[in-house]
Amino acid sequence: MNEKINEDLKSLKFIFERNKSYILPSIIIVVCIILFLQFVIPQFRVLFAAQEEARLASLKLQILKENLNVLANTDERTLDSRLKILNLALPLNKDFSAILNSIYYAAQKTGVNLGNFSFQIGDLADIKKNDGFPSISLAIPINANAVGVNSFVQTMSKTVPISEVTVIKIKNIASSIKISFYYKSLGPSDYKKDLRINPISQKGLGIINKLSEFGNVSGFGQIPISTSSSKQSESSF
Amino acid sequence: MNTDINLLLRTDEEALRRQKRTKTLNLIAIIFLSGVAATSLFIFLLIQIINPSSIKKEQNDVIEKISQFQNKQAKLFILNNRIDNIEKILQNRRDLAKVTSFLLAKIPGRLFIEDLEVDDKTVVITAYSTSLSAIGELINNLTETVRKKEIISSLTLSTLVFDEGKNSYQVSLKAQF
Repeated sequence: MNEKINEDLKSLKFIFERNKSYILPSIIIVVCIILFLQFVIPQFRVLFAAQEEARLASLKLQILKENLNVLANTDERTLDSRLKILNLALPLNKDFSAILNSIYYAAQKTGVNLGNFSFQIGDLADIKKNDGFPSISLAIPINANAVGVNSFVQTMSKTVPISEVTVIKIKNIASSIKISFYYKSLGPSDYKKDLRINPISQKGLGIINKLSEFGNVSGFGQIPISTSSSKQSESSF
Repeated sequence: MNTDINLLLRTDEEALRRQKRTKTLNLIAIIFLSGVAATSLFIFLLIQIINPSSIKKEQNDVIEKISQFQNKQAKLFILNNRIDNIEKILQNRRDLAKVTSFLLAKIPGRLFIEDLEVDDKTVVITAYSTSLSAIGELINNLTETVRKKEIISSLTLSTLVFDEGKNSYQVSLKAQF
């Protein structure tokens, strides 16, 4: 029995002696394969991630540089005057005095006599029309004929704040219109620091120019809310 | 006895073959080892070169400069926001004054408007006249408008009655945009 074991050991020793020169390079090859799979391939992933991060960072840097350039080249006074016109046209919140101003401005300009009207603040303020823009709707009785009403509606369409006449009812002398005044607040998520700041486009300048020609833009705030007009309208009904 | 049998020579050949195999294996091991090392080093260097920390530092510098114009930035943002929204409203709002002007121009002089109601979908006209021809002219004018697809797309004659008290004909028309 012991002799057989000795023979086996001898044969194993012989095989080892014969192949021992292969062992070290084989181990190195296996280790290299393991290293490649476990470390080199993940390193590639890190490399791609770093490349992507660098690309995004340089893109962001480019946007920031462009923003800085736009901001440095913008005149603040011009910006303020343009912003004033735009905020008059589309207020950030419900601007009742501006609404009253525009109605009386149009009435004075077209010479029509307005009846009593009231703001229906509660439920109508929540109505969203025209692409989800919130608006304040009110019905205005007008003591005028078709031409007078039409003239009033036309003037209102070129008066700030921007409004939309949704219903016109013309009767012999007692007519009425339903009008919605738009406003739009800024959403909390709209403003981001690293967002691209665009300079005012030609289209935007066109809109500002168009709005600056609107009825009560230049004299806004100077037109008193005429109490005589409201008294007149009250007495006429 | 066969003289071709040379055990010593065969052993040498085998030893040579084994030596050659060992050399090849050593060479492959060296290539693998140096390959892995070189690739690893190359990727490491690339990562170091690509490292966006310098870009981020530059970003912070620009952000700091921009922060001096924070007011301007906010104003410009609101301004662009207002322009976009105003453009949408101006594009989508219906000009009912234009519709009314157009319709009033189609009404003959001998016809009197009793009621004209315009909303964003329909127009209802109620008018009266002592002459049926004036009513006919109105209907013809509006039918022509529908045919040309100008502003209104359909026209319905709701009522046509003779009012003995007023001694006039009353017509009621309904049109849709």
